[in-house]
Amino acid sequence: MATAEVPVDEAVIDQPLLERHKKPVCLIVLGMAGSGKTTFVQQLTSRLHAKNKPPYVINLDPACKEVPYPVNIDIRDTVNYKEVMKQYSLGPNGGIVTSLNLFATKFDQLITLVAKKSADTDIAIFDTPGQIEVFTWSASGTIITETLAALFPTVVVYVIDTVRSVSPVTFMSNMLYACSILYKLRLPFIIVMNKIDVVKHDFALEWMKDFDVFEKAVNGDESYHANLSRSLSMALDEFYQDITTVGFSAVTGEGFEAFLKAVDAAVVEYETDYRPEHDRLQKLQAEERTKEQNRQKQKFKSDFEKDNERQIPSSQVSDIFLRHRAVGGESSSDEEGQEGNPEDDDDEEDGAGYKSFHKYLEEQKKKQQSKPNKVNKPSSS
Amino acid sequence: MRYAQIVIGPAGSGKSTYCTEMQRHGENTRRTIHIVNLDPAAEAFDYNPSIDIRDLIHVDDAMEDEEMHYGPNGALVFCMEFLLDNMSWLEDQLGEDDDDYFIFDCPGQIELFTHLNIMRRLVDALQLCNFRLCAVFLLDSHFMLNSASFISASMAALSAITCLEVTFISVLSKIDLLSKNSKKQLERYLEPDVTDLCANNSLVLSNSKWNEKHQKLTETIGRVLEDFSLIKFVPLNIRDEESLAHILLMVDNCIQFGEDKDVKVAEFDEPDEDEGDDGYGEEV
Repeated sequence: MATAEVPVDEAVIDQPLLERHKKPVCLIVLGMAGSGKTTFVQQLTSRLHAKNKPPYVINLDPACKEVPYPVNIDIRDTVNYKEVMKQYSLGPNGGIVTSLNLFATKFDQLITLVAKKSADTDIAIFDTPGQIEVFTWSASGTIITETLAALFPTVVVYVIDTVRSVSPVTFMSNMLYACSILYKLRLPFIIVMNKIDVVKHDFALEWMKDFDVFEKAVNGDESYHANLSRSLSMALDEFYQDITTVGFSAVTGEGFEAFLKAVDAAVVEYETDYRPEHDRLQKLQAEERTKEQNRQKQKFKSDFEKDNERQIPSSQVSDIFLRHRAVGGESSSDEEGQEGNPEDDDDEEDGAGYKSFHKYLEEQKKKQQSKPNKVNKPSSS
Repeated sequence: MRYAQIVIGPAGSGKSTYCTEMQRHGENTRRTIHIVNLDPAAEAFDYNPSIDIRDLIHVDDAMEDEEMHYGPNGALVFCMEFLLDNMSWLEDQLGEDDDDYFIFDCPGQIELFTHLNIMRRLVDALQLCNFRLCAVFLLDSHFMLNSASFISASMAALSAITCLEVTFISVLSKIDLLSKNSKKQLERYLEPDVTDLCANNSLVLSNSKWNEKHQKLTETIGRVLEDFSLIKFVPLNIRDEESLAHILLMVDNCIQFGEDKDVKVAEFDEPDEDEGDDGYGEEV
């Protein structure tokens, strides 16, 4: 696998991260394959450039052929997807997952780079792999989103293909999946109805507003379990109220301003809802950690004191004692001759130490014997 | 009447392993299970596919073709559409024998279900061929360890399954890889008291404000899930013969396999150690 080292500036890591409101907003762009994520990012980038607010763009799709927008960090520079496939003998899907996993291990460096750019950019855009489940149902996707959310205001942008959503079943299934992602990532969420230059998204808005209309549409689409769909659309009714929806055309750029407004609102939501909760949790975790540390310290201390009292754990003493019995030596002088010798040969001092140790052992033994001790029981029998 | 399981689930959820083990289990219980590989991008798997889409078209054919230049995604879609255009090939391969039992190992991309209707068309075509189908939705159990994930997983399953409109069971794979602690946690979601899970304010422990905001949605989803007993996850320990047998039995119940035959329960009581000698064939 060809890896290109991303330069790291150690000093930046140590610096306290820049003021919160100065941090760029991270947009994680998700969507099914073919929903137009990349075109969406392209349009967004060019519009932001036109506004003289160039975004920081990160491409996380290792399998795309070319990126049609100026990209600041490209996963393809770090991981060669074709090589990964060859080296680990994986299929295309496994290759993408593994590439993303490999990239996630270097994600801290990316964070540093994004943090460095804080002063110049308002928005960092993350374009994700085409296969949505590679990102939502994998460990690396979770790691990436959670790391981002911990450090930057993070907003999930779910891109929907409006043209295909004309079919109520597809629409519903798309919405169910969006709902699934909402619960998985638990971050501010914007649904972008893409391709409104082809089909206006008014029909979808109406479905979302008035579920009777949707009901009718579903019933028109025969063969569908009417009951289930009714209940599901009712549940989704709640979902729509919680969610911001923006119509967007990745081709003409229609809806760009509305999208920016939605992002602003989402950032506020992040700051008011997510951030304090995260801080609280972090504090809790830190407290937990210090508590655990203290507990460990206490435990160590008490263990240490206990050790000092006893010097040698009784089990060790009894072991030695029993072994001597097994050898058959009755007197203590015997054992000194047997075991002391090799030590004596080696070193005088060691021998002396051994003797004093032995003396101590003897004392201990006597002490043990004087007590009605468990250890002695087997020997008496 | 013929019978088939359609195995779906995200990439890495263990679909192919499930197929392998089911086939082996079938051999042990003297039951022929044919596996059909429908993933044109599959590289290596351990089972013996009776039918392999790669004999028809390989994803590399589409990716490396000079004119098409597809990425992995487009190539997959192209291959699946090619399969649908050549359903007669699949029909030929499937043969005409009654009482065959197939497992279809599908590609993982959710787009094939929700976006493109490809799987739906495939299912319809199979049903026309006199197949009784049951979808098996596999999910890695590591993603099911809190309530929010439970809802998320349920929604993902629903999303795929509402498109197929066949009976289905949801299976949690890789139970054997969970730590003891996680297993305990998981138990709560295997027999979920949905209202309890959803009404509970501790639902999204990590983010209570978020939870407050979406409380109503959570409750509604919970109600739907409960009213329709839509989602019940069955744990699967791939190393445990009984667990496999249990799932196979559940699927059999769903598609009424063998209802017109003698009761087959005995098969599961005495798993035979012998290798199946039914001459499980390459060609069907």
